[in-house]
Amino acid sequence: MTALLVVKGLTRYFGGLAAVTGLHFEVNEGEIFGIIGPNGAGKTTAFSMIAGSLPPSAGSILFRGKEIAAWPSHRIVHLGICRTHQIPRPFTGMTVYENVEVGFRYGGRRSASRGPVAAGIERLLEFTDLSPWVHTPAGALPTGNRKRLELARALATDPVLLLCDEICGGLNPAETQAMLALVRRLRDAGITILYIEHDMRAVMGTCDRILVLNYGEKLAEGTPHEIQHDDAVIEAYLGRRALARPAGGLEGRV
Amino acid sequence: MNAIASPCSATNRLPAGVAALTLMALLLVPHVGLPGNVIRLLLVTLLWVATSLAWNLLGGVAGQVSFGFAVFYGLGAYAAAFAINGGIHPYVAFAVGGLVATLGSILIGIPTFRLRGPYFAIATIGVNEAVRIVMSNLEITGGASGYRLLMTGRFSQGEHYYTALGMATLAFLASWYVMRSPFGLALRAIREDQDAAADLGVHPFRCKLTVHALSACLTGMAGGAFARYVAYIHPDGVFSFATSISILLMSVIGGLGTLPGPVIGAVVYSIVQEEMAVNFPQFHLLLYGALLILIVLFEPGGLVGLAKRIARGVRGRLTGGPGEPTAARVPLPKVES
Repeated sequence: MTALLVVKGLTRYFGGLAAVTGLHFEVNEGEIFGIIGPNGAGKTTAFSMIAGSLPPSAGSILFRGKEIAAWPSHRIVHLGICRTHQIPRPFTGMTVYENVEVGFRYGGRRSASRGPVAAGIERLLEFTDLSPWVHTPAGALPTGNRKRLELARALATDPVLLLCDEICGGLNPAETQAMLALVRRLRDAGITILYIEHDMRAVMGTCDRILVLNYGEKLAEGTPHEIQHDDAVIEAYLGRRALARPAGGLEGRV
Repeated sequence: MNAIASPCSATNRLPAGVAALTLMALLLVPHVGLPGNVIRLLLVTLLWVATSLAWNLLGGVAGQVSFGFAVFYGLGAYAAAFAINGGIHPYVAFAVGGLVATLGSILIGIPTFRLRGPYFAIATIGVNEAVRIVMSNLEITGGASGYRLLMTGRFSQGEHYYTALGMATLAFLASWYVMRSPFGLALRAIREDQDAAADLGVHPFRCKLTVHALSACLTGMAGGAFARYVAYIHPDGVFSFATSISILLMSVIGGLGTLPGPVIGAVVYSIVQEEMAVNFPQFHLLLYGALLILIVLFEPGGLVGLAKRIARGVRGRLTGGPGEPTAARVPLPKVES
């Protein structure tokens, strides 16, 4: 496997506060790479820097060997990187169809030709189960549908690397399972996924590899199994006393 | 599933028919023996229609509320006046007016579009005032005492009227075209959420600069036509802040971001202006202030929004069911914190 995305020494300060410091990791082509960590660990900050929404204070981001740190998001998306937002940001006054159309018409990788717009959008809405709401104003959708619209819109840009920011946040268990199934199908279709999540069960069952952030720094990195048994992770999530107990790892406790 | 592909079909025939009929009626106006004063009012209204449609592309569709459109109206008026006095054919002179306004819009847009929402609006007020003061003191334009056009040939109100009608039609067609194009889609996305639009590949700065230039060009041409009609322009007229407010107000009254909105708004505004300005010279400004507050508070969609709401209400009463979701109405541009 080759590394699609290489992040080196990524750092971001907000005034005197170090939100992310010296972050290193690599994402391989075709995997689901999870980033987890407690609130305020710097997950979304790291994400925003990769997506171009936020310029890094220092460090480098290489996508297919090309330096993209501090590129604006509207350029990065044309390379094939697109993000979803933790709190969905639909264009509320526009219909579901038009929301997806924006990504479809403006986001595409410049080289790719993708056939007629309407058919492509229709396919995406079917994939994300939004077909019944085609002409509904996005502002009238409930949370679950907004999350899926966020995904459909990002997919419309034909990404190579999809950045999903807490895509299951606020969903009920059934919706979460459906969403995770979608994410796995995308991976199987060849899209590499960088996935931030709070819901530990969702992460453990879905990701191929996981990075744990704490206070803006890397705490651990590895397969879900390795992460569940990592002492530093258990301490950060459950406290020092949990570590003293004999039972094995995080399983069954989160 | 072709219904998805073409959301505009039979439902759009009625408005198109209304627009065509209106245009035909307006073409006949000079030939039905209306009093000169009525034609004058129609002419002025048509120029306002052109200007408010132009403003609506930037302020309504793209959500960038500018308080500085008098700058483009004035630049167009002065540039066209200079060109006409220089012996250039008036119709070419209007194009010169549009071109100068376009250049002005790019110079103003590059720094001001670094700002968003209310900050952009405030910056445009500053630009408007600065330009007005410069023009009031510039020797070659006659400074504050204004600039007079040399009249050649016989004055024909009919021709002026058709010029104004041409400007309004052009602005209408340009608006119609932009609103149904992918460019219009990007502009609406920018209005809704600029950052999310950028995440999807829209280049917000470039789009805003482009629509600003288009709006300014149409406004400048209308300004040129106005200058030729009145034959005398001065900075406190064409460059005044009140002119900027009027241009903005018409779209807000009619319905921001819609095609009929600015047209209806300009008609209402011109008639009210005509009646109020004569009978209550000071009172009409107060009225506009009150109107603006009422619209923002109770019907952000303007008259078009109100009409839609009434139509929904009637339909709901007839079928006994609830109307369409209210999110369908066009919201005011979001004020970002």
